[in-house]
Amino acid sequence: MSDDYLWDRKGEPDPEVQRLERLLSQLRSDPPMPEMQTIGSVSYRTRFWSLWRPLVAIAAMVVLVAGVWEVFQRFKPGWDVASLQGSPRIGSSRMGEEGRLTVGQWLETDATSRAILSIGKIGQVEIEPNTRVRLMKARATEHRIALARGTMHATIWAPPRLFFVDTPSATAVDLGCAYTLTVDDTGSGLLHVTHGWVAFDFHGHESFAPEGALCATRPGVGPGTPYFEDSSASFQRALTQVDFEPRAAANYKMALDTVLSEARVRDALTLWHLIARVDARERGPVYERMAELVPSPPGVTRDGILRLDQDMLDLWWDRLGLGDTLWWRFWKGKWPEQGK
Amino acid sequence: METILELQNGIGQHRLVFTPSVIEISDDAILAHAAREGDRVAFGRLYERYSRMIHGILLARIPRPDVDDLTHDVFLTALRQIHTLRKSSAFGGWLAMIARNRATDYHRSTPEVTELTEDFPGEDSPQAEAILILEKIRSLPEAYRETLILRLVEGMTGPEIAERTGLTAASVRVNLHRGMKQLREKLERRNVHE
Repeated sequence: MSDDYLWDRKGEPDPEVQRLERLLSQLRSDPPMPEMQTIGSVSYRTRFWSLWRPLVAIAAMVVLVAGVWEVFQRFKPGWDVASLQGSPRIGSSRMGEEGRLTVGQWLETDATSRAILSIGKIGQVEIEPNTRVRLMKARATEHRIALARGTMHATIWAPPRLFFVDTPSATAVDLGCAYTLTVDDTGSGLLHVTHGWVAFDFHGHESFAPEGALCATRPGVGPGTPYFEDSSASFQRALTQVDFEPRAAANYKMALDTVLSEARVRDALTLWHLIARVDARERGPVYERMAELVPSPPGVTRDGILRLDQDMLDLWWDRLGLGDTLWWRFWKGKWPEQGK
Repeated sequence: METILELQNGIGQHRLVFTPSVIEISDDAILAHAAREGDRVAFGRLYERYSRMIHGILLARIPRPDVDDLTHDVFLTALRQIHTLRKSSAFGGWLAMIARNRATDYHRSTPEVTELTEDFPGEDSPQAEAILILEKIRSLPEAYRETLILRLVEGMTGPEIAERTGLTAASVRVNLHRGMKQLREKLERRNVHE
């Protein structure tokens, strides 16, 4: 086969080249143009020295233009950043006390620096040391960052589903809340909700974590099952095995038994998520234990739950005392009452 | 689009028709000149035109997570040094050289680390496959990998690569042909081992 197609995409298409084009085009990037606050001063300096005499009027004009340019920059999509400690970096430059992170840029803290990001008008995120985040979108309807590694604390006071954090293995969707999210160097993450609710999602595989709950996530697997921080250590260890270890492993069944036997009424949150995640043959025991802790309401049958009838699962959820499914599934219902 | 220039040569009027590629090169000269004078709009147009090339050159040499940031760095460096560009028509080659030098500096100043993907796609996902093929391309000789990445990742054609980088069309064609041959062999070997 001739290489004409490889050369200029003319001639007989080469299927292998076409396949590689399709695959590799995913790695293409379209980074936004860098901010060029420096261009005015550079060109001014060049002209200044080449003209032999100081042009005071032009200098004043340049200062004015720079001021207008600075104001213009403030209105570019981006968020304000303030250093809390040390000198965080925006892109490849160290920032001073304050800076601005525009879409596409990375904010990075080293071992001795911390920063705080203002998320438009809807909240703020504290960035801990050794953390790397990137601003992906700064729109009125979608505020999105990517957390590549490190720890961030988010406090959001906007309506649900406006703030998103992409991690290597799941996306945290704010449902009106405060939470801490950590990602380690392997891409594994841990979500800890301190107020309100957070949905943790990976390709439709969702976990809903309320105040006081944690949820781990792993690359290639997605979010695990949420659990309350005051559950027993053995419950948490066993749940990690159930979520992230091979189901064929000898200790999987033992781990699931531990989760069920250690579960308290409050841990029905975990069992409710588990019903849809365990293999079909394990659903029966999970159903039985959950029914002991929180009796299923009228209209909910064992058979319905075992075949994962969504309406029945939602009805049972509403008995957990964690609010109505409507408000977090469709974001249409009322907000849950504090302390519920 | 074609541009027609009319020139007088003493015998009669001749109409010279310029193809888009020729116009683009002369546009570069005008834009580079304007950018050198501090025109941000002109610099923005050069950025649109060359950001894919810079991205590809850097992607051939440095870890993916740092490529976008360094693409910015390269343009800002070019902005600062544009007064040193003597021949405006050589803007593309000059910019490519800054990108290659920046990648070399990156390796001098950054300890070697194992590259971790940012999104950890599943092993069978198309993105995982793309990253694996990218690694195969990166293992090719430098001239081949840069040209192949510009062609297969950035979607530039051979003639565009030649225009933008300042390389001759003949050498781009040879690099594409030989690079693709070596890449096919590597991919076949991988398939055999699997």
